[in-house]
Amino acid sequence: MMKKICRYLSPLMIAALVLGSFSVSAAPAPAGNDLITTQAALNAEHGQADRERIHEILARDDVREQLITQGVDLAEVEARVAALSDAEAAQMAEQLEQLPAGASVVGALFAVFVILLVTDILGLTNIFPFTR
Amino acid sequence: MIDCLIRQPAAASAWNARPAGVLALLLLLALLTGCASTPRLADTTEDRLPRQLLLDEVPFHAQRYYQCGPASLAMVLNDAGVDVEVDTLIPQVFLPGREGSVQPEMLATVRRHGRIPFVIDGHLDGLLLELDEGHPVVVMQNLSLPAWPMWHYAVAIGFDLDRNELILHSGEEPRRVESFRRFDATWARSDRWAFVALPPGELPAGVRPHRAMEAISDFESLQGAETALPAWESLAKRFTDNGLVHFGLGNARYTTGDASGALTAFERAVSAEPGLAVAWLNLGLARRGQGDAAGAREALEEAAALHGHWQPHARQALETLEEG
Repeated sequence: MMKKICRYLSPLMIAALVLGSFSVSAAPAPAGNDLITTQAALNAEHGQADRERIHEILARDDVREQLITQGVDLAEVEARVAALSDAEAAQMAEQLEQLPAGASVVGALFAVFVILLVTDILGLTNIFPFTR
Repeated sequence: MIDCLIRQPAAASAWNARPAGVLALLLLLALLTGCASTPRLADTTEDRLPRQLLLDEVPFHAQRYYQCGPASLAMVLNDAGVDVEVDTLIPQVFLPGREGSVQPEMLATVRRHGRIPFVIDGHLDGLLLELDEGHPVVVMQNLSLPAWPMWHYAVAIGFDLDRNELILHSGEEPRRVESFRRFDATWARSDRWAFVALPPGELPAGVRPHRAMEAISDFESLQGAETALPAWESLAKRFTDNGLVHFGLGNARYTTGDASGALTAFERAVSAEPGLAVAWLNLGLARRGQGDAAGAREALEEAAALHGHWQPHARQALETLEEG
């Protein structure tokens, strides 16, 4: 049942998303008094293809899902996604797992601590307050 | 006899192995960490800076658990005049699954609170010049080694050039003192990532026009042209001969209903950079909006004559103008 619905729904969704994003990304020649936006001019400066732009816009859906998976409060997800720039959203969608997350903890074994103690004393790292 | 001869060198090498091993370990560490030395400031920077500086009005918020991200944000946002608490920021920027906060969301959260995040150039000179301008700087460090990272956000608030020391609000420690050398070694591991959070209208001490435009434009997308307008005005004052900057200012003015101000800005843009097709295009469209058909045609013809991305748009706009 669910599968059937999905089968009909997904092409519609894809079409809607693609059409929806075209109006933003491809920025058709202004019909009324709409000027070219600064964002569009900067993107063109970068030589960014429209295809990439669509990709960036679709990325927000991925980010939304990822934030939920990471345990972000549902009430906050929308506002967090909205605050990202297109480039940031794309970065989050593509490599959230690899992005360094500032947390100030080391997830490592005891042996590593010994090495880090030495590097701390050498002044290469800054983990143990007593080495300073 | 023969046994002895063979054994003796073996025993000797076993004795010699320890210092060799230590040496190897040290070499390995040096390789792992890259050789750290005290970073040298450019002479021009040294001349501009006072010997000591401390932004002592920057409030300190101690981090709890892994929340150095929200704590650092609270410090710079408070300093930039935003009344926000760490507890409000935690659900806005912290990722429970990663037990930390990632860089794009650090910037995005600044934007949400009506301040513009400018990522600054990654070198100590740039950081110290920002401090000299009165801007506390959020820095990302890897306090550990690349193989076992310990990512950390802190807020740089001062320095002492005579002692080669940086002062930071970091973790649970206000005004922590770190030598330039140690700081730079840990900062380098994040590719020297750092940003300032400024109210619209204030600009970083050192900023390249293109990067600033990106930052302001991203801010404008979220907060609207009205809020972003002062930032465009300051940027246009700083980079008077950059066409694209005046173009951005023109757009912000136009969106907020200041059509004549927009025309002035677009005219500045094309006189600064006559090859900037998109500025000619918007100048034409804005003139058309004001009912100046002759002026619109003149500008659109200039735009249509320039090769590139905007040529088809300009031609089409020109056609619509002829028809209308």
